[in-house]
Amino acid sequence: MARPRPGGPALAAALALVLAAGEAAACDRPEGWTGGARIAGDLWTAWWRSEPAAIPVGAHFSVRFHLCGPPAGRVRVRGWMPDHRHGMNYRPEVTLNGMSGTAEGLMFHMPGRWQLLLDIRGAAGGETLTAETVLE
Amino acid sequence: MLSGIAAPAAALDFTAGEQRRILRHGPWPPASRPDPSNRASGEPAAIAFGRALFFEPRLSVSGRVSCATCHRPDRAWTDGLPQSRGQRAVDRNAPALFNLRFNRWFGWDGAQDSLWAQNLRPLLDRREMGIGPGGAARLVRSDRQLSCGYRRAFGEAPGADDERIFVDLGKALAAFLETRVTGRTPFDDFRDALARGDAAGQARYPAAAKRGLRLFVGRGNCAFCHFGPAFTNSEFADAGVPHFIGPGRVDPGRHGGIRKLRRSRYTLLGRFNDDAGRSTAAGTRYVRLRQSNFGEFRVPGLRNAALTAPYMHAGSLATLADVALHYSTLDEERLHAGGERILRRLDLSARERADLVAFLETLTETAPRHGFVGKSGAVQCR
Ligand code: HEC
Ligand code: HEC
Ligand SMILES: [Cu+2]
Repeated sequence: MARPRPGGPALAAALALVLAAGEAAACDRPEGWTGGARIAGDLWTAWWRSEPAAIPVGAHFSVRFHLCGPPAGRVRVRGWMPDHRHGMNYRPEVTLNGMSGTAEGLMFHMPGRWQLLLDIRGAAGGETLTAETVLE
Repeated sequence: MLSGIAAPAAALDFTAGEQRRILRHGPWPPASRPDPSNRASGEPAAIAFGRALFFEPRLSVSGRVSCATCHRPDRAWTDGLPQSRGQRAVDRNAPALFNLRFNRWFGWDGAQDSLWAQNLRPLLDRREMGIGPGGAARLVRSDRQLSCGYRRAFGEAPGADDERIFVDLGKALAAFLETRVTGRTPFDDFRDALARGDAAGQARYPAAAKRGLRLFVGRGNCAFCHFGPAFTNSEFADAGVPHFIGPGRVDPGRHGGIRKLRRSRYTLLGRFNDDAGRSTAAGTRYVRLRQSNFGEFRVPGLRNAALTAPYMHAGSLATLADVALHYSTLDEERLHAGGERILRRLDLSARERADLVAFLETLTETAPRHGFVGKSGAVQCR
């Protein structure tokens, strides 16, 4: 789900090593989860999954996430269609409980390429994590 | 493109990607269940009562306008006019009343979040019928047939609470209108033949319609908005249709719709929702108002579109050929002012526009079900 990174397999392998030594090891799949995907940023790493697991076109769904990194004060969840340059027609409501949270009321109202954006803010700074998915 | 010469047979074999997109427009009809926000949904007695109400002119102040004045069963449930006339003129086109049970929003601006709430709007609007809660409740209480129909539908005699009776009329009308689902079309037969891998079945679908379908799911980008079995994603978009109503007046479209929704007493978040769990209210709860909602209108479904001219929210386009020309010659500069880039000026040839129309015409039900519906809903009350 994470955006492919430039640099090819060699760099990817090197990165994987660095990550394995650092935060990646500190951000395992949350307990009790079977699916889900991981997005790594500079400050935070997030695990997220949608409910239902296959995101429907034109119907409401929710997202659960778990963050690793410094304490998060506020998380906003957005959707964006980069090819069409528009977002969602609904504003999801996020409940944050420590480093875990739920966003209710998302809807991807068209087929095509969508980004799921997590805007995270905390005392350590702010960062946007981006996952990408294609709906048919 | 394909203009001029006949397309080689191979050009009409859809790619795997095209086939997947085509299959998303079925199967038809889709599964459906009663509306949990309406305790009368699916109830035969309520359906019969709703049918009687639909043809009842006494629900208008003048005693001369019924729902069927603007939604004529013999005209595919619309009136054939660019903009409707009830007691006075209104500034929008009357939509055909079928496949409503699959909608999330109602009205061109989505100012209503349920079918029953939508049905109350003409009863409140003086230009349409305007009888209001008090007048409607008095009529139902005083008329033997109507009060009997009410009792059969809701299991109790009409009580003293005018507004409750009023909302229940919207719910009985909804129970009736939910039964209006369009029939199978040549497109559905083609789509199902594709799903089965039935070559003979696919061959029966006209070549022009196949070319139009390819444009629809491909270069035309139509299926981004006209998505799924009903050919609508049930959301809103700016399709580049002018929305001036008169000198200095514009129809705000979805922007006005969300604001009306938020002021309304009759929403899924209000006390008239029969579903205590509010299980269908997510759209109302999370909907978001933005500047770009100005000039957006609901994406209409396209089934039976060939029967429902004229087109667009104010009936500004007379024929499907005009619609194809509209998308072909869009003013991109105006359209992209809001930043969104889905629609492009397509510059279709005359042949391609005809193909698009040929495809849209195959969305017409083969055995007409839109026709006349008996007016008598009173029989059960003798
Ligand atoms: C004066 C003509 C007129 C009358 C009378 C009228 N309607 Fe309508 N109807 C319209 C117009 C115009 C619209 C579009 C309204 C809008 O977008 O705001 C509409 C919209 C609707 C819709 C929404 C359809 C959709 O696709 O969202 C429904 C349902 C409906 N009417 C049902 C009824 C019922 C039930 C009655 C009788 C109680 C009725 N109408 C009376 C003209 C009329
Ligand atoms: C960006 C979303 C979008 C795309 C893409 C789109 N449409 Fe539409 N379509 C709409 C909206 C919104 C309306 C109603 C506009 C209005 O009334 O102002 C509409 C109206 C129509 C209507 C009139 C239906 C009626 O009952 O009035 C037809 C037919 C139609 N579109 C066909 C097409 C075709 C064919 C294409 C591709 C060439 C297409 N549309 C692409 C959103 C879209
Ligand atoms: Cu889009």
